[in-house]
Amino acid sequence: MSKNELHRSSLLAALLVLAFVTSAPAAQPEAAKVPADAIDWNKERQFWSFKSPQAQPRPVVKNSKWARQPVDYFILARLEQKKLSPSPEAERRTLIRRLTLDLTGLPATPDEVAAFVTDKRADAYEQLVERLLASPRFGERMASVWLPLARYAEDQAHQVGNDSTMFYANAFRYREWVMGAFNRDLPYDQFIQFQLAADKFPTAKPDDLAALGFLGLGPKYYNRGRIEVMADEWEDRVDTVTRATLGLTVACARCHDHKFEPITQRDYYALAGVFASVKMVNKTADGKVVEGKVQADKMPADAVHMVEEGTAQNLNIFQRGNPELKGAVAERSFLKVLSTGEPKAFADGSGRRELAEAIASRDNPLTARVLVNRVWGVLFSKPLVATASNFGHSGMMPTHPELLDDLAVRFMAGGWSVKSLVSELVLSATYRQSSRDDVKKAAADVANESLWRMNRRRLSIEQWRDSVLAVTGELDLSGGKSLELDDKKNLRRTVHARISRLKLNDLLMQFDYPDANVHAEKRSATTTPTQKLFMLNSPFMLERAKVLAERVTTDASESDAASIQRAYQLLYGRNPESVETAAAQAFLRKPATSEVTRWQQYAQALLMANEMLYVD
Amino acid sequence: MLQRTAAGFGMVGLSGLLGSRAFAESPTRQTHFAPKAKRVIFLFLNGGPSHVDTFDPKPALKTHEGKQPTGNLYKNYKGTGFVPSPLAFSKHGRSGIEVSESLPHLASVIDDCCVIRSMKTDVPNHEPGLLMMNTGNLQPIRPSLGSWALYGLGTENENLPGYVVLRPSTKIVVGPALWSNSFLPAEFQATSVVTADMQVDKLVANIKNSKLSATEQREQLDLLGTLNKLHLKARGNDAELDGQIKAMETAFAMQKRAMQTFDISREPAYIREMYGETAFARSCLLARRLVEDGVRFVSIYYTTGSNQPWDTHSNHDDGHKKLCVDADKAAAALIADLKSRGMLDDTLVLFGGEFGRTPYAQVQEKAKHGRDHHHTAFSYLLAGGGVKGGMTYGTSDEFGMHAQDNPVHVHDLHATILHLLGLDHERLTYRYSGRDFRLTDVSGNVVRDIIA
Repeated sequence: MSKNELHRSSLLAALLVLAFVTSAPAAQPEAAKVPADAIDWNKERQFWSFKSPQAQPRPVVKNSKWARQPVDYFILARLEQKKLSPSPEAERRTLIRRLTLDLTGLPATPDEVAAFVTDKRADAYEQLVERLLASPRFGERMASVWLPLARYAEDQAHQVGNDSTMFYANAFRYREWVMGAFNRDLPYDQFIQFQLAADKFPTAKPDDLAALGFLGLGPKYYNRGRIEVMADEWEDRVDTVTRATLGLTVACARCHDHKFEPITQRDYYALAGVFASVKMVNKTADGKVVEGKVQADKMPADAVHMVEEGTAQNLNIFQRGNPELKGAVAERSFLKVLSTGEPKAFADGSGRRELAEAIASRDNPLTARVLVNRVWGVLFSKPLVATASNFGHSGMMPTHPELLDDLAVRFMAGGWSVKSLVSELVLSATYRQSSRDDVKKAAADVANESLWRMNRRRLSIEQWRDSVLAVTGELDLSGGKSLELDDKKNLRRTVHARISRLKLNDLLMQFDYPDANVHAEKRSATTTPTQKLFMLNSPFMLERAKVLAERVTTDASESDAASIQRAYQLLYGRNPESVETAAAQAFLRKPATSEVTRWQQYAQALLMANEMLYVD
Repeated sequence: MLQRTAAGFGMVGLSGLLGSRAFAESPTRQTHFAPKAKRVIFLFLNGGPSHVDTFDPKPALKTHEGKQPTGNLYKNYKGTGFVPSPLAFSKHGRSGIEVSESLPHLASVIDDCCVIRSMKTDVPNHEPGLLMMNTGNLQPIRPSLGSWALYGLGTENENLPGYVVLRPSTKIVVGPALWSNSFLPAEFQATSVVTADMQVDKLVANIKNSKLSATEQREQLDLLGTLNKLHLKARGNDAELDGQIKAMETAFAMQKRAMQTFDISREPAYIREMYGETAFARSCLLARRLVEDGVRFVSIYYTTGSNQPWDTHSNHDDGHKKLCVDADKAAAALIADLKSRGMLDDTLVLFGGEFGRTPYAQVQEKAKHGRDHHHTAFSYLLAGGGVKGGMTYGTSDEFGMHAQDNPVHVHDLHATILHLLGLDHERLTYRYSGRDFRLTDVSGNVVRDIIA
């Protein structure tokens, strides 16, 4: 109860801390908000992220030759203002490795690299982008981005005895829907609408029902019959929906008006009421509800846990979050700060459809900005708004506000096409820059906030594990019902693995995959010895090293040097430098004293290397 | 800068604000104030031990045997009423604290212990009770006490994990949510060790290469080091790549270190005998070795095949006594062993479960009576780590039904543990999802009277 009151007690502490970090760039500490009745809504609606994004005039730049895409003018203008210049374009090998990992989550094959490097067509790069965007691997890669935002998981954080009736046997059908949606470039507004209310939109096809897993696959807690437990579950829905799609921390207003944002308790309960008005059901592909409590292994193969309309009800505001202290009724409706005047009460059943329309609307100042910012973060490794799920006062300001606006406006005008957005970003000169360090430029902007170079990126666990399997030639591209990642026979892409709230797989956990109990704004990026122990000693890695060694040494007549070159091409998309070949040869000449050949040891070293884990 | 959103951390967390780079350079953190305890060993008795059979003598249960409990909670109670403990209590040590005869070893070290007799928690069900005691929250979505402690203290030995969980089997009620780092960064996560097989390479995942000798692996790593340095040199300055190279070397060193630290067969026979030869005893001994080598927080879960052995709903008198034989000897050995090594002063040992058991009988059809879950009064034993020895704190009422004098809620216990570690539970916060979270939520009072 009243857990969010934490704000109050720690407010002073928070402010003291914020005082500490005022030297940090773009930090936005604001004084605590005054009570709700004193909110100046007109003023609040003038806060940058609550105003509609505006199309921007193309910034004037000196080096206009450099620009390839609209985004480049914005980036270059800032660089020139800071007396910086962009980095040269990365070489083709680097570009294809970067692009293929970014768009498909997999490394380019040696043949693909060779073809691109020797491609004489003027639009070779554009052709490459087109090919990658058309690959079914694109949807898998994007699903890796979306699923943690949707706190995707297939079970609960608790289990009583062997009861699996609250587990989600066929959650993968939602995951596959997400992949399919990205692959067919389902416009993002519909992507949101279907996940909130596919059953309420005539444009949705029967296959789109699985999208409702977004709401359906959330956590369920102990003692579900109790009002305070249901209140916790509604909080999950409000939190996930608002942070994922709007970049707003609405759930902070469960126990009191938001301390930092113009979000009132009324706003919170107006949204919570929507989720209090739905039922959670297992529904088959033809729309039939599976009755009763069914253990996970008895669940019909096509039944996905999802929402359907229940009894529409408005909630009373729970004062201090306490269900016993009922305040005024909060009519189901949208957030006031994002409405014109007073929010209009939802009238269609639970209100999910109206909520979906309010979020996925061109009039919503946040939805497009939030998505554009996330995609930017995927491709440039740092989003323009560092707090990607918090665009409020307590979040960060965009580093390039005009650019964010311009992208958002054009994203909406262009039909909310994620593929078009990705395409523009990767075709830009900004994206094509080298990631190499430059001491002088770093002195002016060490954090690379102005993007004077490309950021070097560590691969996610999905990208890294998939890459390892791809270069050994073992990767299984099939999907379907989840397999455990620990299953020795599981050589599928990581995104197809089972995600657990009860016990997140050790590998995922060690490599920063977020806790699946809540929406994950971003991943922490830790560097730990346990990650390295996995690389050094795990049966998975020993087996991959063995297979890789076999793969590159199959031709016995080939010299070590030729095999080394083959390995470099497979793993890193380049030829080895002579010093690298020499180091390898010296190592391979040493006699092996165990059953593991020197080639296997070498192959493992290549798989463990930083070059495998990073993309330039 | 500001990559980690540890903003709420205040003075202590300044290093956190500088990102993992600074963090790696200074693994130990400055605490809010001088710590009395540097490490914690939590002996957790899954299922809930009975306070009236261990540390909280209730002669009134004898004189009122069979009488029905009263009050809101017990309206529908149809059992045979209050039932006394069959165990004799007697005074021990200079302090004269009364302890039941089922705990002779702990009784012998009672002058080093503080017994809290006025504990209480919110719910008399295992899952929320376990979560409350382990994470300060009734639902499984918050970081554990151990993760918070590690977040506040940093690691003392980079070659070992900072937070280790020991349990005899993978099966445990609630599961890993009990030691989750939740939204705290992955470096504060627990390393969970199943102790069924105490051979070190079976204890710690990937700690040993099953095929390569150490010499060969060193050669392999030398080659890898060469390649990584060439890779780094070609890219100019990149502290992150450098960090990866260092982590690889740390991992190599950790293998050797962990193989020693986790190996209890290196202990002399008399020490092993002192602890006993049960799963729980071996874990207690391992815990001592771990904290000796700089592990900050060790949790030992006392589970068995039946999952939560202390949950004695039937045959309570016999069952509970048997469990005590094992737990008593090992826990007392741990306290004595730490003391003889001069480590008890700055190592806090906790001994207790998620709640207590009813002072009244739970009637079973074909078995002897049991005791049910009881959350409104129970006992906890604390030793070392700056806690006063030879004292009792708080009381329950004459039947052991309700905490009476100086009630200590789980939040208060947590606040006190953090305080002993030099951490202010109100300032140990983590900014997540737009708000500052803390272990004690909006509650918690440090129990200052028990601090030496």
